[in-house]
Amino acid sequence: MMTVLQLRNVSKSYNDGSKTIEALKPTNFEAERGKLIAIIGPSGSGKSTFLTIVGGLLSPTSGEVIINGRSLSRLNEKKRSKLRLEEIGFILQASNTVPFLKVKDQFKLMDRVKQKNMRANHLKQLMSDLGILKLKNKYPTDLSGGERQRLAIARALYTNPSVILADEPTASLDSERAFEVMELLQKETKNKNTTTIVVTHDTRLLDYFDHVYNMTDGVLTQER
Amino acid sequence: MFLAWNEIRRNKLRFFLITGVLMLVAYLVFFLSGLATGLQTLNREAVDRWDADAIVLTDEADKSLAQSIMLREKEDNLKADQIAPIGQLNAIANNKDEKQNISLFAIESDSFIMPEVLEGKAFKNKFEVIASETLKSEGFTIGDRVKLSGSDDDLTIVGFIASARFNVAPVLYTDFDTFYSIKYGETSETNNTKLNGFIVQSNDVNAITTDSELEAIPIESFIEKLPGYSEQNMTLNFMIYFLLIISAVIVAIFLYVLTVQKINIFGVMKAQGISSAYLARSVVAQTFILAFVGVAIGLGLALLTGMFLPDAVPVTFDLPILLTYGAIFVIVAILGSLFSVRTIVKIDPLKAIGG
Repeated sequence: MMTVLQLRNVSKSYNDGSKTIEALKPTNFEAERGKLIAIIGPSGSGKSTFLTIVGGLLSPTSGEVIINGRSLSRLNEKKRSKLRLEEIGFILQASNTVPFLKVKDQFKLMDRVKQKNMRANHLKQLMSDLGILKLKNKYPTDLSGGERQRLAIARALYTNPSVILADEPTASLDSERAFEVMELLQKETKNKNTTTIVVTHDTRLLDYFDHVYNMTDGVLTQER
Repeated sequence: MFLAWNEIRRNKLRFFLITGVLMLVAYLVFFLSGLATGLQTLNREAVDRWDADAIVLTDEADKSLAQSIMLREKEDNLKADQIAPIGQLNAIANNKDEKQNISLFAIESDSFIMPEVLEGKAFKNKFEVIASETLKSEGFTIGDRVKLSGSDDDLTIVGFIASARFNVAPVLYTDFDTFYSIKYGETSETNNTKLNGFIVQSNDVNAITTDSELEAIPIESFIEKLPGYSEQNMTLNFMIYFLLIISAVIVAIFLYVLTVQKINIFGVMKAQGISSAYLARSVVAQTFILAFVGVAIGLGLALLTGMFLPDAVPVTFDLPILLTYGAIFVIVAILGSLFSVRTIVKIDPLKAIGG
């Protein structure tokens, strides 16, 4: 299996007055294609910090993040933005859809921005896999929470990312919907051979994951 | 364009309102511009019809035709392709039914500034005049005997020429004989070589005269010095420029509010790797659509209004000028939107996803 994401001695600390707070202690981490990985831990433990560093939204204080052989820390904001577009799919807790675009136009927007490596031919299949084909002419505000989350997953998968980062993707869903979403993520991770990292504190879901990591006070430990 | 247009479609009401405001401001700009052109025409129409390069007046007259008095023989001191002597006075014309402020010009019927007679015939005998056709709508007709204030002589209108106005007053043209009788009455015999100036066609205004008592004035600067002309222009142009600034500010405020409302959405899009440049272009495209539609409707309404205005309102729409102002309007609106571009660039995607 191919390693697609690598963290080498990555740490993050903030200055809070005279104190230095270590949100993320020096961490080494590797993820392979086709794996669904959970990061669990209480809120404030550094899960989100980890996720935003991996996603290239936050620069680490030290260490190196390597995605598909490219080191994030050596890129400027413009190049990192491009790398996010090409390699990373975000699924956010809050809906990451654009409220004034119809479901089908959410995908069209990505067509406009990113001209290659798209699944335009498979869009119909993707939408029907995720059960949102019927909704293609609706606006996000007309969708239920579960439908919106499935749209967000479809949006993230559409650009063929190497890494999918999901921040509490099941937070606003009831158990049944949450299991459905996890099954989808599991299936798509295998099918598309991507790496999916899910930050969650929902321990009901752990059976779906290949690996489970625990984050406590900025220390990442592998549990499984 | 894709984002811009879809957002407008989704939020029709708010974009309809801002387009409405821009349309009203654009309408006012076009209307004022029409008024400025109309008032300019009132002042300069007769002068424009001469198709002259310069006017020669006395140096002490300070570019005022009425204040310039010289003798006919000064023509010998001029060097130009075409020279037309001219006399001028202002008076009230009275045909017993109507009274009208007019400007009487004395010219030689074979000079280059002699206007084409559209109706009736040219002046030939003493006390015959040809008149600007604008006098027709004031109730003057061919054959009317017209009395001028300050003179006992009667003039006869023998023909009409294309609309010609000087300093707002319709113009009458006649010969110098008639002019001297009107102006000097019984003393006309001793004053019959006095005139106000010479209208000149020449490629080199500076070479027209070396006489230190005379001044050759390019026709544009002569017009600028017409009483009230530049003041009027400056006032109206000031209003137009101010409206353009106002429209930029309106656009800036409106789009800024919209942008601030969308900070989260923009942040999420940036997290997904959509560049600031793409989002900024989208905002600029949106402004272009709004301003363009506003300007187009405003222009249509202004032209429509122009068709229904009474003749007494001096509004003349000059399409090239209107289109220029329209283009400036759109550009200025886009400048206003650039204010929001800064905000977009500064949005931190990290905040948007709640990191």
